[in-house]
Parts: sequence; structure tokens; C-alpha cells
Amino acid sequence: MTILALQDVSKSFGPIEVLHDVDLALEPGEVHALIGENGAGKSTIMKILGGFLDPTKGQVLLDGRQVIFGSGPEAEAAGVVVIHQEFNLASDLSVAANLFLGREIGGWRLDHAAMRKQTSELLERLHSPIAPETLIRDLSVPDRQMVEIGKALSRNARVLIMDEPSAVLTHREVGTLYEQIDRLRVEGVAILYCSHRLDEVAHLADRITVLRDGSVVRRAMRGELDEDSMAAAMVGRELQDFYPPKGQPSPEPALEVSGLSVPGRVRDVGFTLRKGEVLGIAGLVGSGRTELAEGLVGLRAASGEIRVNGQPVAISSLRDAFDAGLAYLTEDRKEAGLLLNKGLRENLTLATLERFGKFRLDTVAEDAALDKATGDFDIRAPRRDMVAGKLSGGNQQKLLLAKTMLPDPQIIIIDEPTRGIDVGTKSQIYAFIRNLSAEGRSVIVISSEMTEVIGLADRVLVMREGRLAGQVEGNAMTEDNIVRLAMGVAGEAA
Amino acid sequence: MKRRSLMKAAALSAVMGLTAGAALAQEEAEKKVIGVSIPSATHGFMGGLNWHAQDTIERMGKVYPNLEFVLATAGDSAKQVSDIEDMMATRNIDGLVVLPFESEPLTAPVAAVKEAGKFVTVVDRGLSQEGIEDLYVAGDNTAFGRVAGQYFRDNLEPGSKIVVLRGIPTTLDNERVEAFQAALEGSEIEILDMEHGNWNRDDAFTVMQDFLSKYPEINAVWAADDDMAIGVLEAIAAAGREEEMWVIGGAGMKEIVKRIMDGDPQLPVNVTYPPALISAAIEMTALNFVSNAPMTGRFIIGSQLITPENAEQFHFPDSPY
Amino acid sequence: MSKPDLHTLGPLVALVALIVLGALLNPAFLAPGNITNVLARSAFIGMIAVGMTFVITAGGLDLSVGSMAAFLAGIAIIAMNAALPGMGENWGTILVGMGVAVLGGLVAGYLNGALITKARIEPFIVTLGTMGIFRSLVTWLADGGTLSLDYGLRTLYRPVYYGGIGWITWPIITFAIVAFAGEWIMRHSRFGRHVEAIGSNDRVARYSAIDVNRIRLMTYMLLGLLVGLATVLYVPRLGSASGSTGVLWELEAIAAVIIGGTALKGGTGRVWGTVVGVLILSLIDNILNLADLVSPYLNGAIQGVIIVLAVVLQREKRIAEER
Repeated sequence: MTILALQDVSKSFGPIEVLHDVDLALEPGEVHALIGENGAGKSTIMKILGGFLDPTKGQVLLDGRQVIFGSGPEAEAAGVVVIHQEFNLASDLSVAANLFLGREIGGWRLDHAAMRKQTSELLERLHSPIAPETLIRDLSVPDRQMVEIGKALSRNARVLIMDEPSAVLTHREVGTLYEQIDRLRVEGVAILYCSHRLDEVAHLADRITVLRDGSVVRRAMRGELDEDSMAAAMVGRELQDFYPPKGQPSPEPALEVSGLSVPGRVRDVGFTLRKGEVLGIAGLVGSGRTELAEGLVGLRAASGEIRVNGQPVAISSLRDAFDAGLAYLTEDRKEAGLLLNKGLRENLTLATLERFGKFRLDTVAEDAALDKATGDFDIRAPRRDMVAGKLSGGNQQKLLLAKTMLPDPQIIIIDEPTRGIDVGTKSQIYAFIRNLSAEGRSVIVISSEMTEVIGLADRVLVMREGRLAGQVEGNAMTEDNIVRLAMGVAGEAA
Repeated sequence: MKRRSLMKAAALSAVMGLTAGAALAQEEAEKKVIGVSIPSATHGFMGGLNWHAQDTIERMGKVYPNLEFVLATAGDSAKQVSDIEDMMATRNIDGLVVLPFESEPLTAPVAAVKEAGKFVTVVDRGLSQEGIEDLYVAGDNTAFGRVAGQYFRDNLEPGSKIVVLRGIPTTLDNERVEAFQAALEGSEIEILDMEHGNWNRDDAFTVMQDFLSKYPEINAVWAADDDMAIGVLEAIAAAGREEEMWVIGGAGMKEIVKRIMDGDPQLPVNVTYPPALISAAIEMTALNFVSNAPMTGRFIIGSQLITPENAEQFHFPDSPY
Repeated sequence: MSKPDLHTLGPLVALVALIVLGALLNPAFLAPGNITNVLARSAFIGMIAVGMTFVITAGGLDLSVGSMAAFLAGIAIIAMNAALPGMGENWGTILVGMGVAVLGGLVAGYLNGALITKARIEPFIVTLGTMGIFRSLVTWLADGGTLSLDYGLRTLYRPVYYGGIGWITWPIITFAIVAFAGEWIMRHSRFGRHVEAIGSNDRVARYSAIDVNRIRLMTYMLLGLLVGLATVLYVPRLGSASGSTGVLWELEAIAAVIIGGTALKGGTGRVWGTVVGVLILSLIDNILNLADLVSPYLNGAIQGVIIVLAVVLQREKRIAEER
């Protein structure tokens, strides 16, 4: 018995139709995965289901009857809850206060005891031992997500729409998420699951709908599609060469690091990066990967010895790192990488303004640099004067990559190169990275996606609890080996 | 009216004459504490008032060793109420001299002081309820406006045009302006315009500049306050129209009084509203504790005209005002 | 880009409307004397507001500028009076006063900036504190009264406010130079771009190798310098400073910046808009004085309505953009 369904739904914004005659049915006790490239129409579908948008044509059916949700809260009242990528929690309030936000127990005087009790019962049901009085801002990201799920359940959700829930989670935390999803499935909740991670779709989904350019191009049941055919269906072509072939690093060292420590985060890390090499750094979130990179380029106070091309260098600021030929592309694109409300040109040249005029900024030269960058990195912007925040995630990442490459660094550290990016752009970025190494530059890729590190890197360092746990190379680069090192389970270390 | 205030002022000085004798009789008496609560020195007149208050307290402290004074200045009514509550709670005052920042909010707290059996002197701005204070010492706002108005009436040709700068919108300002207008009633003198200069030099300068742009002919200006008079004079000088009009300020700022003494044609006279009235209030309150003379009643210190002839006696070179 | 941007045009339209209104209400409004008056009296707040545009654009705030102006005027007067016996009644003495005001402004700005960037205290709190400190200091220096410049020096110094080239007096000329320079710096210099980047997202700026603290500190020093410059032109006007000098200038400057289209949360700076904002505020006062439109008790209300309207117009535009 279908709970919620779309029937022949089309949606237009102005003259442009972005969804064409979509049918979609969510059944109780079933995980329904919705996959597609960025811009394929996934978020429009989620917004229509969640009551944030009305369809231009067609109808939304709840228990077989047509409904028109006027707003998100109205849909929620009917049991349709959306968990957004950006959590909807008041970070200075406690877990209990968030769960009961807007429908607190008690009259003029709040009944804190009752709310705490119900909160802990609910969290227990989710096997999440979070104290109800903890403040949201003191919680880890997956715990916050658990609170979001708890909030949805406490509102008697029958349909749960999850937008990229695993994007913010580490390997182990994803495991917990899967358990929760299994539990919800058993309880008869209908789940719509949107994700870029095809491995988890294959693992979780009972039913898969593939979207391309606003139309449903493929429907499948569990086991009918493997990851490759999902990707092929999404892009509309085969992706034989998803990862570019590996290169031939020269034996010459480009960067030698020894005894690098970042107080409280990274302890005594040493490694060598060779010219023309792509070096992967894997590890759980919180293992100190990002901190190691930020310590290297002067964004965090760090101690230790760094040599570039055999020469010792002192790096105490990002400017010093630029001068030594190092560059760093942050994992936090929206908060540390790009000025979302500024234009493409301003973003591109922000870190290297001194190259564009001594006193008066030479906007003509800046424009020329933007032209070159859009060509080199295939940045697809509808308008040159648009703000960076209006670009799709993939194009933002390409712009950030162009910005990072503008100082012409020889050593590039890229943190999470493809977070939240669609499959097509991913393979483009992999090609760029491999291209950099082919030009004789050296690249460090930090990633939480195991397959990405393995597919892309020539060699992988694994970090655990701020230390280097080991490295894997050649045929030893398997998920199993990396996870063993990352989790501290006995295994071979180099 | 004028006669009566003058008589009161005379009585006041007579009482003060007794001061020295009374002091001797009170040598080993118990310590008495007098709280003094006034607005802080936010503009020239209040600056002068603050100076006179401090000066008087210092003087009284020397003359009467058994009197102790607590001075608090407040930037707003709420702070003044807290000041008075603190004086009651922690300094255990026997008498209170208060110049209310505003009448309404201070009435209840001062009434509470009175109910606790303390001696209360209210200065300048009356409380909104009558009969609370033992002693009331004030300048005469009505007379301040009237004396100025009469001078305009007596010294301007019929048909003359004048402009008026008002202070911060308050009851006190209204009283002055109404009296000024009443004094001009029936004369042929036309008030072209009135705007608030907020007893502030810069604001008065701006307002006067605009008056000068607006009116091609102005014969005289009532600036109603010497800080404003300075701004007005500067605006007139900038427009090069010094010959055309004269200016009457008010309250007897020392620089202005000096210029009257020197016979400046632009500043023929001034009207007193002396900041020294706080001195009288403090002195009389002190006397209440050290002499047996009952110091109660209302004392209105009239506004007088300062002319080049009598200006000398209104000139206090040491006061900041 | 090609279509006219209401966001920037809004304040300009309001300014033109006010000028037309003023001219209709009173012919004296367009007389050169009145125009000179309005422009010259806008100059102090104007120069301060140009500096404030940089501070606000970088995501900061400075509430101390009015008190700072009063304090700088006070110490400049004291310095000139003190230098008079030794140096005599000449421009040298006046230059000493000017130097004290400008250097004092730089130091005061550095103080604000250092407390904000080095001690990491909220700008609102730091400048609220220094606002009280400067105000008290000048009242204390003046002993509750007024600090006055020696009469002879005043006569010499006076033309700096009242003189100029024809109708165009020095304050107007200085204000124009400051406005042009400010606009140029915001639009075309690396410093201006960095200021906008920091206000837009200081983390992105830090990750782009920008020395965020240094730039922030520099915005406060620039503002201090401009307050000093405003003081240099203010002192010859009345030749005095007191506890009531420059009261509420900070709010007028901030209001002018916001009317001009600079976002209070930072990120986008419009120096031209600020200049228009300052002129709008001065004109409202001027027109109300010239025209007897409403009770003078309501002047503040008219100003308030116009400030809110100007911002509402911009908000409408922004919402339209987001759709």
C-alpha cells in the first residue's frame, strides 16, 4: 500500500521545465533510493514531496488521495518529514528542547522532566546514548543527525526523506546510520534516500529510481543494478575510465616532512612526497588528516621540519606556503573556500591579488585569468557576473581548484576533492588531478571515500588518532587494509 | 512676583549670615551625612552646576567637620534613582539634596526618602507631587523667559523680526518659551520661527545657519542659553550678518558675561539662571543640621538682567561655566 | 548587470527627491549659501562615515567615533593653547594642533583595532567601552565645562572651516577628496578587495592567505585617521570642545553607511552610497528647518522613517534577487 506518491508530476520554473512526467511511489518498510547527477532534479522532487514546492502539473498522492501541502510544516503534520543536509537544529538548545521545539510539554511552566524522559526513551529506541540535556553544539555531526532522525520519529513520521545523509559521516558512523535505517524500515517507515555514493545505494536500497535531466530513466529493484550500471544510467554513457590510469612518479622527493606536530591534533608525522606523485591520505574523520594539511601550509600552529626540493623551509603562514610552492584546497568549500556571495572573478583571484596590479587592481587581467580558468577547468557558468554560490557544487569545486592553482604551486594538497559532487564532474576532477602529476607536480589527496583514494593515488598513507598508522602501496592498496590501519586493527603496516 | 522672589533672596542671604555663629555651637555633635544627587555634566550649564556643587561641598566640609557629604552624578533618571537608593542603603544619609533629572520618575523614590524621616531638599525641577520636600530651591523659569521677553519688547522697534532657539523639549523649556511669548504679546514684534537647538553649540549653529538662509531679515535672536548663543554668534559671523542683529543668551556663562562687561554690541545683555543655586540649596540643608533655625519652605531665586553696568558681580572666572 | 540596479539607485533617487522637495518648499534652499552650509556641515559625519564604511564592510563596528572626535578636539585645543606661549600665534601652532588630532585619531583607532583583533573582544563591546572612556576624558579635561581655543589662534584658524575656493569651502573640498579616495580604495585596491572578502567570510579570507587581523586593524586605524581629519576641520568652526561635542555622531555615521547600501553584517561596501546617505541625513534636517512642515518635535521621527524606508527598499530588491 503506497503511502506517498508522485503521479505524472512536472515542474517548471518560468519557461524552463525541470521535471518531466515523473512517477514515484514510496512504500512502507522500503528504502527507495533516488540517484542522479547534480541538476537531474532530485532536490526538486524532494521539495515537492516535502511540501516546499507545488508541482506545475500532475499530483501528489497521500494514501491514494490527492493532497496539496501548502508548506513544509503542513507536510510534516501529515507525517512526511525531510531531513536536510544542513541540519535544522537550534545549536544553543539541548537535545530535549530541540526534539520538542514548538510543541513543548507543559503549560506556562515547561515540564522539563517529562521532555527529558521522552527524549531518552526515543534515543534509546535509536540506540543512541545521547544525554537529553546535552547542547546540540556539543554533539558530533552524526549525533546531530541522530537527533534529527529522532525529531522526525517523535513527530510520527511515516515518510522520511533523507538528502545525502552520509555525506557528513565517517566510515564507522555510516555503519550506525545504516543500522538506524534498517530499524526504521522494520518499523514500516517509507524512506526516500538521495545519495551520490553508489556503493551505499547498492547496499541499502530496496528500489532504485535513476533520474537524468528531469526524467526517470531507470527503475530497478535491489540487486538488479551494480554500481557501474547505476553510474552509466545516470550519465547516459559508460564510464569505463572513471579513474584515470596511474602515473610514473619520479624517485626525486618534492616534499619531505619529519616530526610534524600540531598541538592536540597531530603527533610526529613524517613522510616523503615524490615529484609527479599522487599521494593519498586516508583515515577516519578526526584522525588528524585535515589538521596535518593545515599545519603543513601554516593555517595552524605546527612544529617539525619541512623540506621542499631538499631545501628546508619555514612556514608560519599560508603566504609562506605559497612562497615555498605549496597550495591547499580546503574540504570546506562553502565556509572556507569560496565567497559564495561574490563573483567568480573576485573568488578566483582572491588569494593572489598581488599578481594583479601593484596599486590599482587590473580587472582586465583578472577577466583574462577567469577566461583561462573557465577553459582549463571546464567551469560551466551560465553568466560571467553571477555569484559563486549560484554555481552547482561541481562547478564551485572546479572554481576552487582554479583558484588554488593560480599561484602555480608545485605541491598541491587537496582535501576531499569530490565531496557532494556528481559522478560526471568527479571523473573530470580525477582527470585534472592526474594531469597535474603528469606535469611533474606533486599532489596529496585527502579523502574519506576509500574507493577514491585507492582509485586515484599511487600510494596511500593512513592516519589514526593524530599519528601515521602506516602506508599501503600497489596491490596492497585495498579497502580492507586501509580500514584495518585506520581502525587500529592488527594488520600489515609499511 | 518679581518683588517676592527678590525678598526671598534677601531672606536667604540673611539666613546665611547666621552660619558662622551656628557653627561654633555644634562642635562635638554627632556626624550627619548629607547626600547630594545631581545630573552629570553633559552640557555647559550642568557643568557649572557640578562645579558649584563640588565647590560648596568642599567649603561646607571644612566649616562643619561633623557634616559628611556624598555626591553622586547621574546621566539618566534610572541611574539617579539607583544612586538615591544606594545612599539610603549603604551611606545611611540624614538629608538629601536632589536636582531631579526628570520630575515624574524621581517622585516616588524621593518620597520614600522623606517617609524614612530624612530631610529632603529639592532643587530647580519640582517633583510631580506637592508637599514631599522640606525645602525647595529653584530658579524661576517663568521669570527667565519674561525678563528676556521684556528686554526684546523694550529695545526693538515695532515690526522687528526675531527668531528663537529652544532647548531640549522639556516642561522647563516650555515654561520659559511661554513666558517669553507672553511678554511679547501685544507688541509689534514678530517671532519668525522657533526650533530646538538642544542647549548644544553644534545644534544651535546648524539651526541658526538654516534660519539665516530662510530669512533675509532678522533683527534679534533669543538663544535662551549661552552655549547656544555661542553657536548662533558663529553662524551669524559666518554669514557676515553681525551688524544686522543682536543675540540674547541666558544663564550667565563666564565668556558671555565677560563680553557684556566689555560692551560687545552683539551681546547687549544676558538673563541669569545661575548654576550657583545648587550652592544655596546645599548650604541651607547644611544649616538645617547645624543650627536650630528651621530651614523649610520654597525659595525661588529670580532671574535678573545682566547689563554691562552690573556684569562684574556675575562673573566667576574660576567656574568652568 | 546591464539593467539599472535599484539597490544602488534607491538612495540616489531619494536624494534627488529631497532636493526637488527642498527647492519647491523654499527658494532659499538652492541658494549657494545654503548649499555650502549643508555640504560643509555634512563633511564631519561624511568623512567619519567613509571610514565607517570600511570598518562595517570588514564585518566590524565602531561606536566610539563621536566621543573620539570630542576627545581629539579637546586635546588638539589643549595642545594649541599650550604651544601658544612658546611658538606664538602662527600656523606652526595650529599645525601642532592638527598633528595632535590626526595622530591621536590614529592611536585611538589602533587602540580599538588592537583590542578587537589581538584581545579578540567583540567590536560592539570594545567601542562601547572606548566611547564612554573618550566622552568622560573630554568632560574631565574640560572640568565639566568647555575647552576654548585662544581667541587669537581662533581668528587665524577660522578660515580652515569658513574659507575655501569661492563658494566651495575647505571642509567640502576635503570631504570630496576623502570620498573619491575612499571609493577608489574600496573598488580598485587590494586593500578594498580584502576588506570585502573579510566581511563576506573571514574564514575564506584566512584560507586565501589574507592577514585578516592586520586588515581589520587597518580599517579601524583608517577610521581613526578620518575622525582626526574631521576634528581638524571641526575645531575652527566653534573653537571649542565640550562633553556635548559629537554626541550621536556614531549613530549618524552608521545610519548613513546603511542608507547607502552597505550591509551591516559586512561584505559589501559602497562608499558612494555612504556619501549619498550622509547628504540625505543633512538635507532632511535642513529642509525641516527651512520649511516648517511638521512640528519640530517630529524631526527625529521623519529621519527614522527615511532610514527605515531606505533599508526596506534595498531589502525588497534583495528578496526579489533571491527568487
